[in-house]
Amino acid sequence: MFARLMRICDLCIDLVAAMGAAGLLITLGVIATDVFGRAFGYPLYGSRDIVSMAGVFVVFGGLAYAHRAGSHVVVDLLERAFPPRMNRILTVAGHWLGAVVMLLIIWQMAIAVELAKMLKTSTNLLFLPRAPFLMAMMAMAFVCAMSMVLRGVQAWQAGDPQPKVVS
Amino acid sequence: MTPEIIGVTGLVALLVLLALRIPVAIAMFVVGICGIAALRNANVALSFLSSESFALASSADLLVIPLFILMGNVATESGLSRKLYEAAYAWIGHWRGGLASATVIGSGGFAALSGSSVASAMTMGRVSLDQMARYGYAPRLSCGAVAAGGTLGILIPPSTGFVLYAILTQQSIGRLFMAGVLPGLALMAMFITTILVVTTLRPELGPRGPNCTWRARGRATLGALPLISLVVLTIGGIYGGFFSATEAAGIGALFAIIYGLVTRTLSAHGLRSALMDSVGTSSVVMLILIAAHVFGPLLAYSHVPTLVGEWLTSLPIGAYGVLLLILATYLVLGCFMEGYAMLVLTMPIFFPVITELGFDPIWFGVLVVLMLEMGLITPPVGMNVFIVKSVAPTVELAEIFRGVWPFLLAMAALVGVLIAVPDLALLLPNTMYGVN
Repeated sequence: MFARLMRICDLCIDLVAAMGAAGLLITLGVIATDVFGRAFGYPLYGSRDIVSMAGVFVVFGGLAYAHRAGSHVVVDLLERAFPPRMNRILTVAGHWLGAVVMLLIIWQMAIAVELAKMLKTSTNLLFLPRAPFLMAMMAMAFVCAMSMVLRGVQAWQAGDPQPKVVS
Repeated sequence: MTPEIIGVTGLVALLVLLALRIPVAIAMFVVGICGIAALRNANVALSFLSSESFALASSADLLVIPLFILMGNVATESGLSRKLYEAAYAWIGHWRGGLASATVIGSGGFAALSGSSVASAMTMGRVSLDQMARYGYAPRLSCGAVAAGGTLGILIPPSTGFVLYAILTQQSIGRLFMAGVLPGLALMAMFITTILVVTTLRPELGPRGPNCTWRARGRATLGALPLISLVVLTIGGIYGGFFSATEAAGIGALFAIIYGLVTRTLSAHGLRSALMDSVGTSSVVMLILIAAHVFGPLLAYSHVPTLVGEWLTSLPIGAYGVLLLILATYLVLGCFMEGYAMLVLTMPIFFPVITELGFDPIWFGVLVVLMLEMGLITPPVGMNVFIVKSVAPTVELAEIFRGVWPFLLAMAALVGVLIAVPDLALLLPNTMYGVN
């Protein structure tokens, strides 16, 4: 059951990271079209709107991917001073605290979505509605939260880590 | 509890969470939310989560970070970074310590494509360490040169450190990028001088490499031309006013991809890997930035920066004394903390003091980034040293730390020069954008 959940989670992580990569490629294309178009007197209308909204995917699409890779910045100065059990507890606490923060972000995003729908907020030039992008952010943050919860469980089940040997 | 006590308690709680290995961004979120809830109320605190997340994630200006990271990743995947090292190696490899100097030049060139010191150290370590070992270089010198050369990544533009500083202090990214050019080149020159001095005193540390023929030098230089063109295109484009920093990053990344695909040095798998890595790395930096914007109001509401500012300016040590005290704080913090964490944690406190004392914020930005660079190679937590250790696992950490000391002295010397001659940082931005 847990292994299946992890596989589903990993698939979701790959999917949202691919969305982030697509966002980055779209950004590249829009910037290039705008810059070259501008050189010939035809800038791309609303390029900033597209790039801004693509940024949402770039930033939130990579969150879970970076978490899975263990890339989030941690000050591990005292790691070797702590006993293995303490390190395991702290690792799990880090994962789960991160999940709580992500869930809080999702909750606040849900409120923001309602507001955005009510006020019909949109980008300035192309009038792209903000609500769908906020919902996309919620979905991507949820994948990250799911990854954090599962990896916390995994770290707990893995037992006490062996102390690192650094020469 | 008074706001000041809540603010100080928040800072202490943050340091405790960081020491307990809670990820930096998560720790800042938690302390920021709890602190603001205590000072105002929970609704105000939680509202920062959605507003700051969306505002920063949808900021077109901040896309400069993923785009420059992508350019660096593509350059690595397509072997561009290796070419500059090979060119430098062809020209100066026969000097005493020449391979180490070529590594520093290669690092500087790679730094001009990527804003990451870690990526720079990793790439140059893979490219040059084996070669230096083959020619009998002492691991102390070779590893020290790679670790120190890698730090050029956050001083020579484009630099993620400058982007973070710009966002945290509301300064111009373009101006900061330009301010980093001359100090970056000066530091590169000082590193090479350091290698020459070290190998003159102890020739056995870095023996001469083979002398290349003029034809080989020409060929190697031609090989490095695409990378040099890319640097001229991006940095020159910003300097010439053709692009904004974000546009320069986009165009640079696009050309790097086109070059890689046309010359078949970049595979589809390599491109996918570069894109995914860029998205992941950018998310890490951006999450810290979002967290800093949630944590920042706690400090503002609690008046902690004002208190620290009043205390610092009341010290009978003059403006430059305060500046040196702040830089010394960075030096100490750099021994224990990661650079980005240090930046987002300290900037809301120190920046108002610096502006109050009348120092130029762009010049201070260069000094701070230089201090972050030093933090990358100071024991016990020197990120670049750990990276070099991962590339050269047989070399002892202590040996690498011994190797970086001469380079740390060179950095300290550059800090002194920058304080004495601020124009070294300010000349280019002031010429380009006018005096701030």
